[in-house]
Amino acid sequence: MSKKLFVTCFLLACALGSIPLVKAFAQGTTLSDQQITLIKDNCVSSRNTLNQLHVSDALLRVNMGQVYESMSTKLMDKFNSRISYNSLSNSDLAAVSKDYVSTLDEFRLDYIAYEAQLSLALKIDCEKKPADFYDAISVAYKGRNLVHDDVLKLNQYIDKYQLALDKFEKDYQAIAEGSKK
Amino acid sequence: MSEVKMVLKIEELSPYSKHRFLILITASILISFVLVAISMALYNSSGAAQLDLSRPGYVSIRSQAVTNDNDFENYASTGAINQKAISEFKILYSKQATKTKAVDAFGGDPLNFASLGLELTTE
Repeated sequence: MSKKLFVTCFLLACALGSIPLVKAFAQGTTLSDQQITLIKDNCVSSRNTLNQLHVSDALLRVNMGQVYESMSTKLMDKFNSRISYNSLSNSDLAAVSKDYVSTLDEFRLDYIAYEAQLSLALKIDCEKKPADFYDAISVAYKGRNLVHDDVLKLNQYIDKYQLALDKFEKDYQAIAEGSKK
Repeated sequence: MSEVKMVLKIEELSPYSKHRFLILITASILISFVLVAISMALYNSSGAAQLDLSRPGYVSIRSQAVTNDNDFENYASTGAINQKAISEFKILYSKQATKTKAVDAFGGDPLNFASLGLELTTE
């Protein structure tokens, strides 16, 4: 019984002892003195650049978000509804619209994560905590790239919808000609 | 008369009876704090905060936000589908698609360490 207790306590102690080690590895980047000096020297200018980017990206999110939303709600959904209203098949168009909407949701979520990370980076005092500042920018950089990837995907779906529309038109023309004959 | 006396006696015995008003005020403040915390959490997590350009720090760009998207024509969801309707939609869609794709949103590399003057190499 005492042996079991001893082993349990030992394992618990090992597990608890490894937490600081895991944290240390998780913090990632180790910066040299030269690198830290570089961050401290450019602290003010880099913060200013980040602030400007934060503001301009917010405007971009608002304006482009509206446009992406309108592509779906004012055009794709409306045309799909009109096709359904006329009892015609629109499976391709509906599938592309659905993918577009789910990508738009991803875009929203990825932007929230990116904005939160950039805000976090801006709150860090780069003169006192240069390594944390560096890590925060690194994560924000990846977050912004994800948002850009979503934008590229949205553009691809816009093109796919156009192709599906061309196909729908051809099918419609074939049906119309067939009914004439 | 005896009932009134009994009620008075119960009130005298209750530990909260003397501080009822204070408890009411404190509880109201606590509830309002909780509700404000919940609404702030929702405001931040829902993405509304990111779209809110009325926040401090966004004064300079507030006027540039598009508030009127009337040039983005709303296609009618009812009506007949014929060649004319399809062609009309294709023209409308193509016009808006070109406009949308023209902006390389969130492109470029402004967060690059070199752009920020923090060109570093990890050890």
